[in-house]
Amino acid sequence: MKTKAEMNDMNRREFLSTSAAVGGAMVLGFWVPPESAQAQAGAAADQAVRPEPWYRDAVVPEINAWLTIGPDDTVTIRISQVDLGTGVMTTNAMIVAEELQCDWSKVRSEYASANRDAIEKAPEWTLKVPGKGAHDPAGGGLPTELANEKGVYRRMGVGSSGNIREGRYYMQLAGAEARERLLLAAANELNVPVSELVAKDSVITHAKSNRKMTYGAIAAKAAQTPLPDPLKIKIKPPDQWKLMGTEQKNRDVPVKVTGAAKYAIDIRLPGMLYAAVKCCPVWGGDVKSYNFDAIKNRPGVHSVVRLPLDPKAKEALGRTTKDGFYSGGVAVIADSWWHAKTALDAMPIEWDRGPGGGVSSATLLQSHLATLHDAGKVIVNEGDVDAAMGHAAKLVEATYTVPYVRRARMEPGNATVLVTDNRVDMWVGDQQPQRSLEKAAMLTGLAKANVHLHLCYLGGGYGSSGNGPQAEHAVFIANAMRGRPVKTLWSREEDWGIGSTYSPLGLFTGKAALDAEGWPIAMDMHYCTTVGVAWPADSRGLAMPPYWVPNYRLHQHIARSHIPAGRVRSTGARHNTFYMESFIDELAHAAGKDPYEYRRELISRNPPENQENRFIGTGVGGFRYRDDWLRALDMVAKMSDWGKPLPEGWARGIAIDDRRRGVGRGTGRQGTICAEVHTVEVTKRGQVILHRVDVVFEQGFSLVNPLTVRKNIEGQIAWGFTDALYQEITIENGQGVEVNFDKYPVSRMREYPKEVNIAFLKTNKWIEGVGEEAIPTITPAIYNAVFKVTGKRIRSVPLKSHDLSWG
Amino acid sequence: MAFNLLVNNLQYSVDVEPETPLLWVLRDSIGLTGTKYGCGIGQCGACTVLIDGVAVRSCQRQAERAIGARITTIEGLSADGTHPVQLAWKEFDVPQCGYCQSGQILAAVALLSKRPKPTDAEIDAQMTNACRCGTYHRIRQAIHRAATLRG
Repeated sequence: MKTKAEMNDMNRREFLSTSAAVGGAMVLGFWVPPESAQAQAGAAADQAVRPEPWYRDAVVPEINAWLTIGPDDTVTIRISQVDLGTGVMTTNAMIVAEELQCDWSKVRSEYASANRDAIEKAPEWTLKVPGKGAHDPAGGGLPTELANEKGVYRRMGVGSSGNIREGRYYMQLAGAEARERLLLAAANELNVPVSELVAKDSVITHAKSNRKMTYGAIAAKAAQTPLPDPLKIKIKPPDQWKLMGTEQKNRDVPVKVTGAAKYAIDIRLPGMLYAAVKCCPVWGGDVKSYNFDAIKNRPGVHSVVRLPLDPKAKEALGRTTKDGFYSGGVAVIADSWWHAKTALDAMPIEWDRGPGGGVSSATLLQSHLATLHDAGKVIVNEGDVDAAMGHAAKLVEATYTVPYVRRARMEPGNATVLVTDNRVDMWVGDQQPQRSLEKAAMLTGLAKANVHLHLCYLGGGYGSSGNGPQAEHAVFIANAMRGRPVKTLWSREEDWGIGSTYSPLGLFTGKAALDAEGWPIAMDMHYCTTVGVAWPADSRGLAMPPYWVPNYRLHQHIARSHIPAGRVRSTGARHNTFYMESFIDELAHAAGKDPYEYRRELISRNPPENQENRFIGTGVGGFRYRDDWLRALDMVAKMSDWGKPLPEGWARGIAIDDRRRGVGRGTGRQGTICAEVHTVEVTKRGQVILHRVDVVFEQGFSLVNPLTVRKNIEGQIAWGFTDALYQEITIENGQGVEVNFDKYPVSRMREYPKEVNIAFLKTNKWIEGVGEEAIPTITPAIYNAVFKVTGKRIRSVPLKSHDLSWG
Repeated sequence: MAFNLLVNNLQYSVDVEPETPLLWVLRDSIGLTGTKYGCGIGQCGACTVLIDGVAVRSCQRQAERAIGARITTIEGLSADGTHPVQLAWKEFDVPQCGYCQSGQILAAVALLSKRPKPTDAEIDAQMTNACRCGTYHRIRQAIHRAATLRG
C-alpha cells in the first residue's frame, strides 16, 4: 500500500493502471490499438462498450468532445448519460454515427466525463436548437429545457424520458460537425472543392479523380480544421436516416451476459475499505447514542464515522446540504463489507426518531383527506360547474387513493470514493452526475474541477432523484478517511428504508354530472398530493383532459409530510392517469355505454383547433392531437379483438393517456400517446391473471432504435403489473415498513403475460419520450377489466388489499 | 480460517470466517463480481450461482458449506460468452440494466440441465429471479431458443 503522500502524487493514468492490476477485471479508459485486423474483429464484440470516461491521447484524434477517430477508423463516441438499462450506450451512439456517416461496426461507446462537463463550456453550435421545434422533422428539442445546462455535454442527467427529446438535436449536430470537418480536411488534402466529396461508411470518395480516403487517415488533420461557420450545420430529418430508425441490438449486452459489465458495486481499488451505513429510519431523525467500543474488536473493523443530521432537514425535504443529511446516522468501516455490516448490526444504537416519529399510514391518510375540506387552489375553471351540476340527470361521485411506492431498483445504493487533499475520485452509477459532482465538491471543500466522477453501469434507476444520497454518504465517509478509497454500500433495507425518496401518497375525489343520455356536462375534481423536492404537485392529465366536458373545474390540494416526496417512473401520471381513466370508465358504466366507444365519443367532441392546450391561457379551445388519440384508440381496440367473446371470468380493460403536462413547469411538452387493452382473468377465488396485453404506442416522426423501445415497453408491462397488484409502502412510527423483497414483491416470470402485442403509431411530431409512457395506463386498464368480471370497482391501489372473489 | 473453494474449475484459498455468505467470498475475497448482491435474504436471486449444477442463492449459503463442491459463477460459464444460454441471451437482446442477468442466466442453465426442452409452465415454475426492468418476455424466448442451441 502506498502512503497517503504517494497516493496524492499519483496521476490519474497511474492510478487507473494500478487499480486495474489489483481489481483484475477493471476495463481501462485508454485506447490500445489492435495488433492486427483479426485481433480487431475479436475485440470488436468485447470492446463495443467501454465504461471508463474521457481521456485525451495524441494517437487518437478527438474531432470534438463527442468523438474520437483512431487510425484504424475506430470511432469512439462519448455517452453523456448513464445507461441504467434504457440502451443509451447504443441509441446515443447511433445518433452521432448517423450524421458522422461512419462504419457502424467500428463504433465504440464510452461514458463522457462529468468533470470535463464541469470545466468546459458547450460550443455555441450545440446550444442552438435547429428547425422549428417539436413539429419539425428537421428540428426538435425544447431550448428552455436545457437553458441552464451549458457544460460541454449539456444534459448528463437522466430523467423525464428526455434523452432523445432534449438531446437528439445536439448529438446529431456533434456527428454532423465532425463529418463536415473530415470532409473539409479531405478537400484541403486532395485539393478539390468540398462539394465534390462524398462521405460514407468512414470513407471519403472523390469520384471525379477516383480517389478515396479513410476517416482514420484524415482524422488528425480534421482535428485541426475548424469549420468557418459551424452555426450553419443542419441535421437530417428522419426520411434521410439510414442507421437511426433501424433496430439495433444493445451494444452492452455482450458484457452483461458474462458478468464483465462493471457496476459501481463491482469497483475494487488497492487498499480499499468498506463502509456499511445505518441512518435513523425516520426522516428528520438522528442518532441519540451508539457504542463503537462494543464492536471495535470484531474481525476487520477499522473505524466509525458519524453522519450528521442537517438541523434544517425538515425543510430540506430530502436534500443533502453542507450541514448534513436528512437523517442522521452512523457508518462502520471495515476490511470487507460483510465485516462492516455484521459489526454495524451488532453495534448498540439508540435513535432520536424526531418530529416524524409518530406518523403512520392512518394519520397520513387523515391529514391528506383533511385538505379536501377547503377549496384548495382552483387551477382550472371552465364554464359554470355549479350551475351545470344542477341540471344533472345523474351524478357520479368517487374517491381514489394511491399509496407510497418506491423505485425498487436492483442494485443497492453505493459508491466508491477516494478523497485526497487535492482531488476526489468517485465511481458511481448515477442518474445525476453533475449534481453528485457538485455535492462532492461541497462536502470536501475542493473545487468542482478537482472532482472526477467515473460513471459506472447502474443496476436500475427508474426515477431521476433515484440515487438519493448514496454518493453523498460515500463522499462524506471517504472524506473522513482521506487517502484511503472507501466503498460505501447500503444494505437492501437501508436503501429501501431511508435511502430512497418515495412517490407520494395521492388522493382524488371526482364528481360528474351526466345528462339524460349519459354524457358528462360537468366535472368537479379535487386532487391532493405531497409537495417535496422535485415534485411540482403534478397536475398532468387532470388539468388537460382529453375528454370533452364543457364545464370543468380542478382543485389542487397540498398535504405536508416528513417523508421526502420523490419521482418514481411515470411520476404524477401514476396517480392522475389512474384517477382519470378509472373515473371515465365509471361514467361509461353509469351511462350504460361501452368504455371504448364512450372514450371515443368524448375525445371526438373536442373541436379540432390547432391549440396545444385546451385550457391553459387559451380558453376552451381545441385539442391538437385529437385525431392521433382517436387513431390510437381505434388501433388498440382492433388489435385486442375488443368486443369479441371471452371465457367466463375473463375481461378486457382499456385505458389511454399521453402523460401530457399540466399547469406549471414543463407545460407545452408534446406527450407520447399510449393506448392499452389488458385481457385479464379473475378466478372465482379472486386471483388476478394477466393473459394478454395490447399496446399502441406513439412513435412520432420516428423512433431512433425501435428495438430498445419495444424492450422498454415490454418491461414497463411487468413494472405496471407490479404497481397495480402489489406495491404499497405502509408507514409505522414514521418509517417505511416494507424494506426488502419479502414484503415488497416484484412481479416474476410466472406473472408475465404470455401474449404481448406492441404496435407503433406514426404521427407528425417528436414524441415526449419512451422510458415510462406505457406505465400509467396499466393500473386503470387492469382495474377496469377486474370491474367487468367481478362488479367490484377498485378505487385504491394496490389490488392485493382487496377481496376480488366473485360468483 | 483459511480453506479452499473450487470455483470455475480453479481452487481458491480464502481466509474468512467460515459462516461468511458465499456471495461475499466470491465478490470481495476472490474478486468475481459478476455475482450480484440484491437483497441478502434469498428473495431476489441476483446472487444465484451453481453449486454442483444446482441454482443456489449464494447470499444464503455459508462458505464452509460449499467446501468440496463445484461452484460455477457467471464468469465460469464460458470463456467468451458462447455458452448456449449466453448466445440465446444475445440473440434476443435480453438485458436492460443487466444487474440481475448473471443470476437469471445461471437459473436458466440449471433449468435446462433438468429440463432440456422446458414448457412455459416449467419456465414459470423454475425461473423465480426478480427483474425490475421486466425482461421476462425475452428471458422466456431466449430459454426456448437455448434449448434448441443445446441440440
